Order: sequence, then structure tokens, then C-alpha cells
Amino acid sequence: MEAPRHNRVLPALILAALVAWLGADLVSVAANRIVPGEGIATLDAIGWGGMLAGTLAMLSVAVLGFRPNPRKYRIAMAVTVATLMALPAVLALAAARQADSDMPQARLGIGPGFWVVLFVMLLAMIELRTRLGGSRLNGWALMFPVLLSWWLCLSWWLEPLALLQEFRGRSDQFVAAVLYHLALVGAAVGTSLLLGVALALAMRRFPALQRAGFGVLNFLQTIPSLALFGLLLAPLAWLAANVEWLSAIGVRGIGWAPALIALVGYSLLPMVRNTFVALSEVDPGVIDSARGMGMSRGQVFLQVRLPLALPVMLEGVRITTVQAIGLAAVAALIGAGGLGGFIFQGLGQAAMDLVLLGALPILGMALVADALLGALSERLRPGGAK
Amino acid sequence: MIELFDVTKRFGEETAVDGISLRVESGELCALVGTSGCGKSTTLRMINRLIEHSEGEIHIDGQPIRRFEEDTLRRRIGYVIQSTGLFPHWTVARNIGLVPRLLKWSPERIESRVDELMALLGLPRETFADKYPDQLSGGQAQRVGVARALAADPDILLMDEPFGALDPITREALQDELRELQARLHKTIVFVTHDMDEALRLADKLVVMDAGRIVQQGTPLELLHEPATPFVESMLGGDDRGLKEASLVTVGERMLALGPRLNATARVHRDATLRQALAVMFREHADRLTVIDDEDIPVGELSLQRLVGNTRHE
Amino acid sequence: MNERGVPRRANRAVHRWRLPLTWLALLLVLTVGMAELEGVFRWIETDSRQVIYDRADFVTLLGRHLLVVMVASLLATLVGVSAAIAVTRRAGRDFLPLVAQIASMGQTFPPVAVLALAVPVLGFGTLPIIVALLLYGLLPIVRNTLAGLQGIDSSILEAARGMGMSRGQVLRQVELPLAAPVIVAGIRTSVTVNIATAALGATVGASNLGDPIISGIVNGNTAYILQGALMIGLLALTVDSTFERLALRRARR
Repeated sequence: MEAPRHNRVLPALILAALVAWLGADLVSVAANRIVPGEGIATLDAIGWGGMLAGTLAMLSVAVLGFRPNPRKYRIAMAVTVATLMALPAVLALAAARQADSDMPQARLGIGPGFWVVLFVMLLAMIELRTRLGGSRLNGWALMFPVLLSWWLCLSWWLEPLALLQEFRGRSDQFVAAVLYHLALVGAAVGTSLLLGVALALAMRRFPALQRAGFGVLNFLQTIPSLALFGLLLAPLAWLAANVEWLSAIGVRGIGWAPALIALVGYSLLPMVRNTFVALSEVDPGVIDSARGMGMSRGQVFLQVRLPLALPVMLEGVRITTVQAIGLAAVAALIGAGGLGGFIFQGLGQAAMDLVLLGALPILGMALVADALLGALSERLRPGGAK
Repeated sequence: MIELFDVTKRFGEETAVDGISLRVESGELCALVGTSGCGKSTTLRMINRLIEHSEGEIHIDGQPIRRFEEDTLRRRIGYVIQSTGLFPHWTVARNIGLVPRLLKWSPERIESRVDELMALLGLPRETFADKYPDQLSGGQAQRVGVARALAADPDILLMDEPFGALDPITREALQDELRELQARLHKTIVFVTHDMDEALRLADKLVVMDAGRIVQQGTPLELLHEPATPFVESMLGGDDRGLKEASLVTVGERMLALGPRLNATARVHRDATLRQALAVMFREHADRLTVIDDEDIPVGELSLQRLVGNTRHE
Repeated sequence: MNERGVPRRANRAVHRWRLPLTWLALLLVLTVGMAELEGVFRWIETDSRQVIYDRADFVTLLGRHLLVVMVASLLATLVGVSAAIAVTRRAGRDFLPLVAQIASMGQTFPPVAVLALAVPVLGFGTLPIIVALLLYGLLPIVRNTLAGLQGIDSSILEAARGMGMSRGQVLRQVELPLAAPVIVAGIRTSVTVNIATAALGATVGASNLGDPIISGIVNGNTAYILQGALMIGLLALTVDSTFERLALRRARR
């Protein structure tokens, strides 16, 4: 059982990456926005040198990972990060080689081979981080050089990239959409935080509320988002038509009003559940001794119960936020705008790069929100990482 | 019969069990005693190959255990652990019938065997057969654990602190039951415990372990009379060990058998331990006790002198 | 059970299944008899000539929706549970940390984004949706199966091995039954999300209960939107309450 330890994970991952690297189309080139792109394999895209360099880098990660020790893991991690940093340069190289003065409209698309390599190398990074231990923050610190390299390449050398061209065409709209998306999520999370804490406190006061409260919230959570948006449409349209001040502040059957209401509705369940559980599950011995020391009810709540419950409550905020970022995208269907607008517009026009322009930032926002709030709740945990 | 020849177990750099040799005769109850981390549980678990030994050989009835297929070996050996390990999704009856089912006994034979064992361990069938483990008290659950281990009538029983999680009263009751069971069944039992009193009560042979080695082995009385090291002595309770010895000897072994003309009013049963007799003397302020049998008939006399083993002056 | 127990038991069973059965009945009634409600919808949507969605009948839409969700969920359950079992066995243990990480991180991905990203790779239509739902639906199943298997008290497994159960017997007779409630909860999450996400599939060319909603939004026909929303809502409630009953029954044993 204690035979020399092998780790087959990295070799398996790298095998998948190499198959894609050597076998699938790395990029595609299209003459303009309308025509479908033509796939180009790695060898043709970046030449022998680039292909060999990439192959060797990946192979070395597999070899280092097969019979690991901490030092080898660290070297493998360095190679992985370097590979991820080099990937945008690969695109730039491909773009430069394909540049053709006859086709100023030419657009460079990212091919399946590139996506797979990117995805697998990210997985390798996760695997290496898990094996090396280390805090959540360290892992994100490693992402920094990678993001920096991508940003540099995107701003200087990746002009023909289709994704970038979609962005260039609507950069103002893009910024507005991101801000709008954030505002919608922020408003929903903020509202549901206030409502949720109030509701949880009320439930602790009046246990009769618990069953009914959780029943309704569970019910809401079960209704699919598209359906809930739809169901809200009719009553809100009616209200807007019949109540003047509501229509004055912009409430319509479509738009931000149903989106916000639905987002709050979905957010309440995780918020209330986590707050309620967090407050209820504080060790009764601790509360007992606090009371025994002569702390008043208010002091017990503010100085003991709340601080102990905070990490779990934050967990609720994290779940809610991540969920709201995704749901806000669906809200674009009922005219709420935001990044979801790009997705559905792109789907409507079969413009895949526009879809990516909407979906990738949503993904990024969800990951960042998850990481930040997760780290915060870890930090607030008694004895957590400081 | 279980034999260990120079058995060593290493976990990576760490040596958990360091070259121990041990022989447990058939029908013997051998207690492995030591502080936590001394390697006693590891030793036990090497016998049914839940842990593979690194060096040395382990034989059961003269055969090296590696010659058997793991599962076959384990089905021949009963196994009882502290937390019972009962399957929470199975009824008591189904839990007990586990190994016979693994051995593909016929359903009728399994059922009658389960009945038999439930009766043997004082678990009335009608009350307990259809209960689930989380509906049992700690003592009941451990009875089921023992019944499950005995189900296929194995010759060998391995018990890893089986009574360690029970309250003192239940623990003593179960110790007594185990002693009675053992008197009838004559299993070869290896029993791991950190409780020296438990070991002294139950064991035919006592093995004291420390830091992966055997420090001393012998009968409980041998160890009490001549603890080999200060460690063994402290395990045996230091100055209290006289009292522990007193609880291993019965009144009947020390009394002076006499006719029925006895004048001491304080009485003690023949099967009581010397420790209990001493307690009676202390309570009654007497230095002499009349010893009686089951029918309350006086059969002898026990003086304080005799009790402490000094017979020269009588 | 005594003679009186049997009918009482049956009664209780009907009682317990009342909620899922109610949702199911409502769903079926609406599916078949949507046209009968024309008056109600006309009152809501006064502007349009056409108030009952008629590009496909609701039986077909419901059937397609169910088909997509069922195929995706069945495959996700099969693959997800097997994968989680594989990485908790000795041979696959190398992969456990990575798989656990992916399963928990993947939950962060919004379903819309996953669906949107699937289109460039897989194209439009029903198949891409099934694949996207399958991939996304894997995550809660893998995560819960892992949690269920790893949450089993190690002494129970030790006892099982110590009694001489083979690894396969331990898995089938002990691990899976004990992990079942957590696994079923994962499947429930997965199916619920799939029903919602499948509706979004209407925007990428799959025809299902999302269709009336999308078409209602595009044409400004509130009645269409309501019809689709009611159907999807009832479908979700039927499935979810069924799972809840299953979970309660298990808890009661």
C-alpha cells in the first residue's frame, strides 16, 4: 500500500490538453463577421517552434506531476502559470501570422483546441494548488500574472480577435451593461439582506411564522426563473397602468421592476435560511454562560450571538450573490438589460462572439464574488485565516 | 490459536508496532492493555488484516494469515468495536444475520441462528428484532454488536475496547455477561482495552504494551505479584494494586473450612472476592467473617490474617 | 400489520402524496384544457386577437420539455454517481481532490452562462441543450454523492470490512443505502435547475414550454407568457414535491 506514490491526475489532464493542442483547430479565421470561420491547426497557426514549445511545457508538467514531491509540484505550478501566461501570446502570434492586408475585416476566432488547452491548464492549476495546500488568497494571487498577461496582449496585439472586435464595437454599451448588471445584483442582494435578516429575526420571535415563511420561500425558489419573470409581468403591468406613482418611478410589466422583485424573491430563501440557522445554532452553552456572567439580552445578541453567526450569514450572502448574478442575466429576456442582453442578442443573431462577450464577464463576476465573499466569511470565522 | 512472530507495522516513517511476539491459546481470553497510541489496536487489526503487517508472521491455527483471502479470513473471525459499527439502515435482526448471509446460509438457518443469539445475549426477539440501531441504548447496541460477531460461530473473536463507551454500571454488567459467555463458548478472544480493571476482570492472559512493544505478559496474578517495570506497576495502579489482586481471589480460596459452629455474626458469600470481604470487615468493624454458601449455610471462616494471606499464626 | 392497519396505511399514503398529486392534476388539466380558459386570458390580454398559444399544442411542448429534462437528468445521475463512486475508491482516489474542487466551483457558474457557452461549441437545437443540462446537472449530483459517501461514519465501514464484506458488498449494501438521501437531494437540485434551464433553451432553438414565454415577450402577448409560466411552474412544483415526498419517506424509513 505504501508503494512509491504516483499521481495520475496531471498526466491524464495533460494528455487531454495535448490531444487538443496537436489534434484540434487552435484558431479560426473569418473574412468578416458574417461568414463562418475556417479552422486552423496549431502547426499552421503558430509554426513548429511554437507548437514544440507548448508541447514541451505541457509534457514537463505531466512528468513532474507523476512522481511528485513538494518541490516538483512547485516547479510544475510555475510551468503551468507560465503556460497560461503564454496562451494569449499564442493567439497574438497566430493573429500576426494570419494577418493579410487583403482582408482588413478578417477576424480571428478562438478554436476548440485553444479552449480545451486553456480549460485543462486551469484545472491543472487548481489541482496543483490543492496538492500544495496554501490559502484561497494565494491561489488568486497566482492568477494575477496570468490576468496581467492577458490584459496586455488584449490591449496591444490582439486586434483581429473577434471577441475584441465585438467589444470595440460596443464598449460604451458593455461598460453600461456591466454597471447595470452590478447595480441590479447589488440592489437585489441589499434588499434581500435587509428583508431576510428582518424575517429571520421575526421567525425566531414568533415560531408560528417559521413553517409558513419557509413554505412560501421554498415555493418561490422552486418556480423556474423564466416562469417567475413571466408571472410577475401581468400584475406589474396592471399596477403600472392603475397606480400612478408606481409608473412614475419606472415600474412596468417589463424592465427592472419584475427583475428586481424576482431576484429578491429568489434571494430571500438562502438569506433567511442561513441567518436563521446561524442565529439558532450558536452553542447554547455559550449563550448560557454569557447570560450567567450578567450580560443583558441586547449585549448577548450584539456581542455574542451575532459575531458567532456572522460567517454563516455571509455564506448566505455569497450564495445569494452568485445566484443573483446568473438570474439577472435571465432578466434581460424581460427587458431588464445588463450583460444578459448581449447573450440573447448574440443568440438571436447567431453571433457567437457576442454571446461570449456577455457570458464570460458573467462567469467572471460570479467567480470573483464567490471568491471574495468566501474569503471574507473564512476570515470572520473565529480562529479563521487572518 | 493465534501466534504472532516478531510482527512489525510501520506507517511511513513511524513504527506503530515494533517486533512483537505473542501466542494466544485456543479458548484463552488475552487482553492487550496500554495507553492510547501504544499499538494495541493496530496489533488487533493486523490479525484480521484490516491492517497489513509490514514484517514478521501471524498464524491462525498454525497457518499464516496471508494464505487466506482477506474476506474469507474475516468471515471466520468475529469483530467487535467500541462504536459498535452497526448498520443504521438495517434492523437488529438483519445486522446480526450479516455474516451468515455473507456465507450464504439458508434463510431458515439464519433466522434460527439469529433467534438463538438474541436469546443468548438477553435481547427478547419480539422487542428487539425489528428495531433499528438508533433506537437502542448503548448497552443494547453493544450486545447486538457481540451477537453479530458471534453469528457465524467463529472460533476467534477480536474485541476493540468494546465496552469503552458505556457507563460504569452497564460496562460491568456486560463484562460479567462476557465472562459467562466465555465460560460456555470457549472462544479464543483478543480483547483490547485501556482499562486495567477490565483487563484484570476478564483476562486469562494479560499483555501490557507501550510504544509499540510488549512490556510484560502473563496471568493477571503474575503481573500483580511481579510487575516487570515501573510502567506496568503504574498501569496496575501503584499502591492500589493490592486491592486489585484482592478482587481476583475469592473468599472460598482463602477461608478456613470449619464445621457449623461459627460465632462471627458478619457474613460473606463463598464466591465473593477478597476485596468485597475486606469491605464487609471494614463496614462491620469485624476482623472475622462467617463464610456461607448459596443456601446460606456456613461453610467456613475468614479472618483478617487469612485474608491478607498470613496463615502462620493460626 | 393488523387488519385495521392496512386501510389506514393506504389512507395515509394518499394523504402524503396529496400535494404532488394536486400539482400533477393541475398540470395535466392545463395541458389538455388550456383552450377552455380562453375567456380568462382574453380578459387579461385585451389587445391581441390570438390569446391561446397555438404554434404547438401544450401536450407536445410538455412532452419535449420532459424528454429533454429526463434524458439529461438520467444521464447526469448515471455519470455523476458513477464518477463520485470511482473517485472515492482506492484506484481513483488521485482524482478526488480535483473532482471535488470542480464540483464545488462549478456550482458558481450561472446556468445561463453555461447554456450560452454551450451554443458556440455545440450549436443550436435540442441536442446541445441536453448536453449543456447534462454537464451542468452533473455538478450537484457529484457533490452530493461525494458528501453522502464521505459522510458515512468510518466505524460503520470498518465494521463492514471487519465482518468480511467484500468492497463491492460494502458499496452496495452499506455505502449507497446510507448515502441515498443525500444523493437524492442532489438529484432533486439537479432536476429542478434543469427544468428552469431547459425553459431558457427556447432561446437557443429548442422547442419546449419556454416557447410561449419567449414568443409572448417578443410579441408583447401577456397571455402567452402566463400560459408558459403556469405550465413550467406547475411542472417544477410537481417534480419538486415528488422528490420531497421521497425524501420524507426515506427519513421515516
